[in-house]
Amino acid sequence: MPEMLQYAFMQRALAAGLVIGIAVPLVGVTVVLKRLSMIGDALGHASLAGVAAGLIAGLNPVAGAVAACVTSAFCIEGIRRALPARADLAVAVIMAAGIGLAGVLSGFVPNSATFSSFLFGSIVTVGDAELAVVVGVGAAVILFCALFSRELFWVALDERAARLAGVRTGLVNAAFVLVCALTISIASRTVGSLIVSSMMTVPVAAALAVARSWRQSVVVACAVGAVSSLAGLTLSFYAGLRPGGAIVLVEVGILLLLLLVRGIMRRLAHPAREDATAR
Amino acid sequence: MSDANTPNLSHPSRRQFLAAGLAAAGSALLAGCAGSGPAAPAGSDAGSDAGIKVIASFYVMGDFAKKVGGDLVSVTDLVPAGTEPHDWEPSPRDIEDLQAADLFVYNGAGMEHWVEDVVSDLDTVKVVEASKGIELLDGEHGHDHDHDGHDPHVWLAPANAKMELAAIRDGLVAVDPEHTEQFDAAYEEHARAFDELDQEFRTALESLPNKTIVVSHAAYGYLCDAYGLTQRAITGIDAEGEPDARTMAEIIDFVKESGIKTIFTEELVSPKVAQAIADATGASCQVLNPIEGLTQEQERAGEDYLSLMRQNLKALVAALG
Repeated sequence: MPEMLQYAFMQRALAAGLVIGIAVPLVGVTVVLKRLSMIGDALGHASLAGVAAGLIAGLNPVAGAVAACVTSAFCIEGIRRALPARADLAVAVIMAAGIGLAGVLSGFVPNSATFSSFLFGSIVTVGDAELAVVVGVGAAVILFCALFSRELFWVALDERAARLAGVRTGLVNAAFVLVCALTISIASRTVGSLIVSSMMTVPVAAALAVARSWRQSVVVACAVGAVSSLAGLTLSFYAGLRPGGAIVLVEVGILLLLLLVRGIMRRLAHPAREDATAR
Repeated sequence: MSDANTPNLSHPSRRQFLAAGLAAAGSALLAGCAGSGPAAPAGSDAGSDAGIKVIASFYVMGDFAKKVGGDLVSVTDLVPAGTEPHDWEPSPRDIEDLQAADLFVYNGAGMEHWVEDVVSDLDTVKVVEASKGIELLDGEHGHDHDHDGHDPHVWLAPANAKMELAAIRDGLVAVDPEHTEQFDAAYEEHARAFDELDQEFRTALESLPNKTIVVSHAAYGYLCDAYGLTQRAITGIDAEGEPDARTMAEIIDFVKESGIKTIFTEELVSPKVAQAIADATGASCQVLNPIEGLTQEQERAGEDYLSLMRQNLKALVAALG
């Protein structure tokens, strides 16, 4: 057995990394195509505000985080509908509100240690119970995305066309927003928000660079996510790097590599058709 | 402060400063009463007749100031109970309170990263940098506060705490020379108590077989130095707070190999990493208090430097025995 696997914390970190690396990019494909790339950061900050509010009110801070996350996600969805061409603006507004609220509320939190323990999740400190939660949420996300693959595809691509194709866009959007918010609020607390928000976008960017269909981009995104989780953790173990940063850098490295490969392939072969999102 | 060490010069000007300070406090009070809003003076309880108004940067400084000043002073801590002082910053209202106070006591040595900006606006006579003159240790590796490379936690060795007490006495004498005798007497009394504490630590720790403690935050350099212990800190637990996997593995191995039974954490810092290491090694997590602040429960229970240091000693003896 390699040295790395002799440590229980590394086994848990690798398991959590694998689940997050598959489940989060799966959500991410739809997020990116809906132009909500920064939603991970926005909801991460909103959930901080929720943690602070929960601690101040004497409620369960995790419940506070989930509630704040879900509320903000629906606010983003609301603003996005009001200004359909400016979905990125909706995310920016909610991010700003989240940071502001978290900053103000954190001043009133009675004991800063409990607050910071909700702030700084880290993938190498994931405990057994937390791993179970991550696996549970991951499985739910994967199931949801598999069941509603067709609907998500239509909604992500073009909502008007989706309605014409008989998709109940309101329902699908609401369900998706809920799944997204749950994933972010729970996963970022356990493994750190850096990993979650990067997983939502960077593997998807890599997939969009090479994939020729919706299904291909989903598969490539998940593969890139899973590989970078495992590689990043291995690097962290053998080279002594911070795990969150290492995972993100591996993701970005893979993205650059794929872009390079695509460039070379294009030059060699005849120009490829521009139908990356055709099914 | 250098002035604090030469308290006998130029009384009149000091008296003037005191008067000016009181006048400023008074006008702040009036402003508060007029309902125009922004400022009630430092610690609203400090009100009218409570003598010298001392503002301390964080808990232990306030506790020392209370010990020396007794009934002659009213002390307010800037960093509220339950807050980690390393992450704290003053609000505009705190600055205003500082302007109105008679004496400002801070630890220095990099503990209060915001202090330079604040002190530059105050009269030097009403500022005490308590750690001045104490020989500073270099910051421990893995101790990522912005501490100018020094470990600021000088007060965790009782001998240093006594020196800080003396610096605070000098500061009080400088702003209120009429009560020199009372301050001196109070200082002597508490200095003896600190000496006793020092002796208790020495005798209790000397005979213990183990000498290494694993701590979440490398705050115990002075304590370890004074009593022949070594601290091993878990890297980067505060602020950004993510240890890398190799460090985790190294500490787990270290704890297992040297048979360490206890991982020390703090009340005001997240115990998550320490808990993960304790779980992996079968050690237990215990609190070793750097006395940077009280929790609200401790405040209610009337704990002070001496009682908290004795709790620390008990925890150390249990861990190293």
